Amino acid sequence: MYAVSGFGPSHGNMRPLRDGEMDRASQPHHPVTLRHVTFTYAGATEPALRDVTLAIPAGQICAVIGRAGAGKSTLCALCAGFVPHFFRGRLDGDAFVDGLSIATHPIAELVRHVALVGSDAFSQISGARFTVYDEVAFGLENLGVPRAEMIERIEWALKALGIDHLRDRSPYALSGGQQQRLVIAAVLAMRPPILALDEPTMQLDPPAMAELADVLRSLSRQGMIILVAEHRLDWVAEVAERVVALDRGAILADGAPAEVLTDPRLCAYGIGWPRPTRIAVQARAEGCWAPDHPLPITITDLAAGLRPATADQGAANEQLRALRSLATQPESDTDGSQRTTPAAEPIVTLDAVHFTYPTGVEALRGVSLTVRRGERIALVGRNGAGKSTLVRHLNGLLRPSRGRALVGGVDTRMTTVARCARHVGIVFQDVRNQLFARTVRDEIRFGPRNLGFSPEKVNALTEAAIDALDLRDVVNEHPYDLPLARRRLVAIAAVVAMDTALLVLDEPTAGLDNASIGLLVQLINNLAAQQRSVLVVSHDLDFCYEALDRVVLMRDGQIALDSRFAELDDAQMDMLDHDVGLPIALRLRYIWVSKNRHLGGFTDSTK
Amino acid sequence: MQRTGLFIERAGFLQRLNPLTKITGALLLIGATFLLPAPLTGAALLGGVLLPLALASLVVRRFLDTLLKTLLPVLISLALVQGLFFPTADPATVAVGPLLFRRAGIQFALDIGSRLLVVAGAPLLVFQTTHPGTLVQALIQRGMPRSVGYMLLTALQLIPAVTERAARVAEAQRARGLETEGNILQRIRGLLPLISPLIVGALIEAEERAMALEARAFNAPGPKTWVRDIPDPPAERMARIVMLTALGALIVWRVATLALG
Repeated sequence: MYAVSGFGPSHGNMRPLRDGEMDRASQPHHPVTLRHVTFTYAGATEPALRDVTLAIPAGQICAVIGRAGAGKSTLCALCAGFVPHFFRGRLDGDAFVDGLSIATHPIAELVRHVALVGSDAFSQISGARFTVYDEVAFGLENLGVPRAEMIERIEWALKALGIDHLRDRSPYALSGGQQQRLVIAAVLAMRPPILALDEPTMQLDPPAMAELADVLRSLSRQGMIILVAEHRLDWVAEVAERVVALDRGAILADGAPAEVLTDPRLCAYGIGWPRPTRIAVQARAEGCWAPDHPLPITITDLAAGLRPATADQGAANEQLRALRSLATQPESDTDGSQRTTPAAEPIVTLDAVHFTYPTGVEALRGVSLTVRRGERIALVGRNGAGKSTLVRHLNGLLRPSRGRALVGGVDTRMTTVARCARHVGIVFQDVRNQLFARTVRDEIRFGPRNLGFSPEKVNALTEAAIDALDLRDVVNEHPYDLPLARRRLVAIAAVVAMDTALLVLDEPTAGLDNASIGLLVQLINNLAAQQRSVLVVSHDLDFCYEALDRVVLMRDGQIALDSRFAELDDAQMDMLDHDVGLPIALRLRYIWVSKNRHLGGFTDSTK
Repeated sequence: MQRTGLFIERAGFLQRLNPLTKITGALLLIGATFLLPAPLTGAALLGGVLLPLALASLVVRRFLDTLLKTLLPVLISLALVQGLFFPTADPATVAVGPLLFRRAGIQFALDIGSRLLVVAGAPLLVFQTTHPGTLVQALIQRGMPRSVGYMLLTALQLIPAVTERAARVAEAQRARGLETEGNILQRIRGLLPLISPLIVGALIEAEERAMALEARAFNAPGPKTWVRDIPDPPAERMARIVMLTALGALIVWRVATLALG
């Protein structure tokens, strides 16, 4: 943890009021004060924010949650002055940050009081600096911070975000997660009294998310106000001191996290609950949670509130079995093991594949993997473990330096990527590289048409994919007019429509709300039921655990672990925990067993 | 990967100098190349100044490599055209295989060629020994608009970034069955899905980057500071005055000689 100083609203240094600014009577009491704010983007028919009234005191971490398109990003942009100065539109009501009226102060002036970090890290890199160190310096140079202080702040920010070791690297040579940490560090070094973060965890892995939470808590203790728009409710529950839920631009709930995040309206409005809350509800039904006990929002509270097993070990085993099934989809419990048999037809076979990039980096070192029909596989591992390189071997985008890759039984050296695409469809993480058509429907038709299907089949597949990803209401819209979450669903639908035996999804849950993730889980189950396979590359272990049944862990270009989630032994779980963390359900098992250690050995073997 | 253009990171002589000193030196060299009438001025400046400087800056191999690779086609055509067709009364010739070169033409080509090498080599050496960030910072500190400096630096970094994005777009579309390996017709048909995401991506990024610049106080009023100091000792400032005076003197001398005739 790194101590910081000098935050907090700068009321003491405020300049005299200008004409048209607030008078004494309307002086806001809190550094962020919104009164009856309604904002409509230029050209839009519906307001993005409706009658929002919000006051955030100094030192508070306030999370904004809501479905995609609920107005979270607009609220962040408003608090930083980007609405209405950068994104034009009609603003009604009063909005103040650090005592300044947002409507009458330009961003160039507001930027000393409030900073905004958007969700797409790549495009927030200035492009004007050649190293991570200089990139962090960029904002400080623009503010005219003296050199000695600048150096001290840069060092602090680099260490706080855990990118100190990357200081001499080019910002463009970093991974997505590292870039996200860099842009946050670059803004934090500017030490704004108010910080607005729009989906800061989108590209972060679990350890980086935990680090970011620590940094934010430390900053808030020093008086910084942090407004954070976020889909990941589990993370919100860990870090927020207050939660504001938005629905179609209006505040649905506003209060302490324990109250808001367990509010039944969140489920009714499609926002959903954090996982520990959902698990506790199921645990209550299984008798593992006292009916009068308040619902938890964090795993710590969940673990603390779980009823210890009574006395007999049989009952404890029964409870443990019940607990382990809580966080999983019913399908994976019942027929997951029967769905795929060793005799099922292989779609892709990698046979002792080595791959060395022209730079000399050996990214794969003897990888053997078979994907059969009906399998649901999670490919996990740290950044640089070789996951992306492996994925590019699944459809011939890369061909082995040594060993061989068979797609649909054909060596990828003997065929083209377009032919492999009949068997394997890949949705890459950055959907911007994929989407190009004028309408959602045209975008989805592109893949099946490429594969030469008849017009009738193209139509049938397109319409089925539209329904599978719940896109019927936007089929005639331009994909880029949709919020990022739905744009990702369009990209996925466009590959689902290709009717391939294997669907590969790279970080599919990044930026998705709970409802969209639910759609994805349902899609994967439906595909598996049709004997189609899914391979997901993801840092989101909870999603993997809930939607998939086999886990492949990559480490240093090799497969370190390949097992069904249900068959992981303790050593394998340790390995998984060490590299990528454990899903909540498995962490819960650890906690449960240690809590009931007095009962002796458990016979838990089934998920 | 560092996208620093031509810059080669070495701890040599020129790398220690202020960029303005190097730019002034390059200007003097280029001026001298044109203003000094002696037939082998270019060769003398190349061998007597540029190459020793490249040597002292530990970049001589890359310097020669880049310079020759860039200019070799021009030099060869210069030698061929001037050597074979130079209008001269001098009957002296040099035989190279079946070709008969005029000696005066070869001399002319050597003279012009060596001057060309200096004109291209001097700025090349400046770029190879000056980090672009340092160069732009020095120019901004001397009054160049910051927005121009920003554009220069982003161009240097974003062009490779766009190239990489183009590769990712191609991957995404080939994974959707787009045939890019077939005949011309197939390739033309595949252009829209390849180019469109690039353009849309670039437009969106331009907007987001403008937003990011605002968020990083690029347009904030008030004095600016720099995290890196570019040393400019008195000796270098004096050297620049001497070089600029010499350049001015050369120009005056040359104009006077031409005028007097």
